[in-house]
Amino acid sequence: MLSSQDVKYLYPFILLIVLSVVTLFLDLFTKQNKKIVSGFSMLTIAAVIASLFYILINDPEIARTQEILHSYLRINRYTIAFSVLSMLGIFITFLASKNYLKKQDINFGEFYYIILFSAAGMLTMLYANDLLVIFIGLELMSVSFYILAGLMRRRLKSNESALKYFLLGAFITGFILLGISLMYGTGLTKGIENPLNLTAIKSNPNFLFNPYFLVGFALFLIGFFFKIGLFPFQMWIPDVYDGAPTVVSGMMSTSGKIAAAGTLAPIIIIMHPSDLTLMFSVIAVLTMVIGNVVALVQNNLKRLLAYSSIASAGYLLVGITSMNIHTLDAVTFYLLAYTFMQLGSFLIVSHFEGKTADGKDFSNIDIGYYKGLAKRSPVFTVIFTIYLFSLAGIPPLAGFWGKYYLFYAAIKANLIWLSVVAILMSVVSVYYYLRIIVYMWFMDSKTEIPEEKNYLKGNMLFFAANVVCVLGTLVFGFYPQLLFEMFKLIQKII
Amino acid sequence: MLTDYIPIVIIMTIALVIAVVFIRFSTLFGPRKPNREKLSPYESGMEPVGTAREKFSVKFYMVAVSFIVFDIEIVFLYPWAVSFLNLNGEKMLYAFIVAMIFIVLLAVGLIYEYKKDVLKWD
Repeated sequence: MLSSQDVKYLYPFILLIVLSVVTLFLDLFTKQNKKIVSGFSMLTIAAVIASLFYILINDPEIARTQEILHSYLRINRYTIAFSVLSMLGIFITFLASKNYLKKQDINFGEFYYIILFSAAGMLTMLYANDLLVIFIGLELMSVSFYILAGLMRRRLKSNESALKYFLLGAFITGFILLGISLMYGTGLTKGIENPLNLTAIKSNPNFLFNPYFLVGFALFLIGFFFKIGLFPFQMWIPDVYDGAPTVVSGMMSTSGKIAAAGTLAPIIIIMHPSDLTLMFSVIAVLTMVIGNVVALVQNNLKRLLAYSSIASAGYLLVGITSMNIHTLDAVTFYLLAYTFMQLGSFLIVSHFEGKTADGKDFSNIDIGYYKGLAKRSPVFTVIFTIYLFSLAGIPPLAGFWGKYYLFYAAIKANLIWLSVVAILMSVVSVYYYLRIIVYMWFMDSKTEIPEEKNYLKGNMLFFAANVVCVLGTLVFGFYPQLLFEMFKLIQKII
Repeated sequence: MLTDYIPIVIIMTIALVIAVVFIRFSTLFGPRKPNREKLSPYESGMEPVGTAREKFSVKFYMVAVSFIVFDIEIVFLYPWAVSFLNLNGEKMLYAFIVAMIFIVLLAVGLIYEYKKDVLKWD
């Protein structure tokens, strides 16, 4: 039964679902004018973010975890922080994508409301207090992503990306379900009434030592490692991000990852599988090595950013492995910084991206195109440079503090060797980020590409999105405590 | 008990007898003018042997997809309808509203299909 207590916390859901259906109807009943749809979808996300902040500000009770709907859902400050972050990624994508969609002939209304449906999946996952609810949210998000990856339906590359993502994702879904059913069966035989409930699992800590439960948990983890893109399950990321429309890749690599990591991190904190620390550390190391080393030789910027997102997943796992009071704060901060810098970089790539003469492939995504960009398009060069410095972890930008908090959490958990490896790998990453910067600032382009003038004209929203990302990178770089004050998080760090 | 199944045995016997009688009588008394088309195995009007890489109209898939959606609707609504009578008062209203939300969301899909001309066959 739904009590008024519950409804209070469910406003973001109700708003999102009702307004996304309204968006769909707007697209169906207004002819060819995507301005209304795009505006309304931005409004929807803004309303969801506002309602999340409303709960945060007006409800002191959420300092402790509140259970909603017979404890199928839960809410606390971290839930709200993660939800706001993933909605923010979507909002920035909506702001920036109009010109890109027109340029690549994919100006469909579906783009907007399928992303809104995936947003509903993300909220469900982040709110979930029950493994099956998590599964439903994950599927809602993933199915939307499969469609979005294949949005350019006449291009071979996009089709390849969508099919690859769909086949692998559907296969991994089987792992998650098998894992959940094993955990359920084990719980029932131990006499736990609702063994999929995270609260029930938390109150039976000896449960984790049951071998069947461990197998189920491992299968469940495999599914999430796939979605986040950790080592043995990372192969799909470059191919999918390369073939998908660039704004969609940016959205998948930020909002999708925030939703998956923001769900996984609290589960790991609740279950606290300290026996698995070594396994997590090894996977984190391998992920960072694969991501950073392969990125060194990439010339295609979309693939490079995809490998850099694999490396970021490795850093995230370093933080998650620590499993102490700092973990969630560190993960939240890193995901915030990551949203701005990674999404911003994808947006810049989408701005310069074109299509080949026959319209069958992307063009201008090679690093060679970025030679001498500083002369042609100084404003976007400066913006891109800020993102890349932040990704490389140069202080005082937000990316530096993100890595700092993650590694600090790991050191506090006595994982000093792991943090040393992580820092070394982040040094390796500086090479390929700086390579792009060198290409842009210090090299001359051999081919004549016209100078970009009037970058503001007809591009205001795109520019606004970049301003948001740059401001985020700078503000949270100079004043990292702002995040913890904003969401009233624990602030245990420093 | 086992005697409860006797009606089923009777109905199966009758069905068997009718089927055998019908087929036997039509082979005995029916006219027979075979040709190549008639002798080929029945495949719903399709060519039974040929390349597997044939092109289908995408409309078949559309119909299949909308069929699956409404199939699943029945799968969800049938147990709901069965357990609905066991509820009472406020719980009944709640269950009713929840099912209505589900049906409305499905109807949204149907309207989307209709506006995208998926149901138009030509």
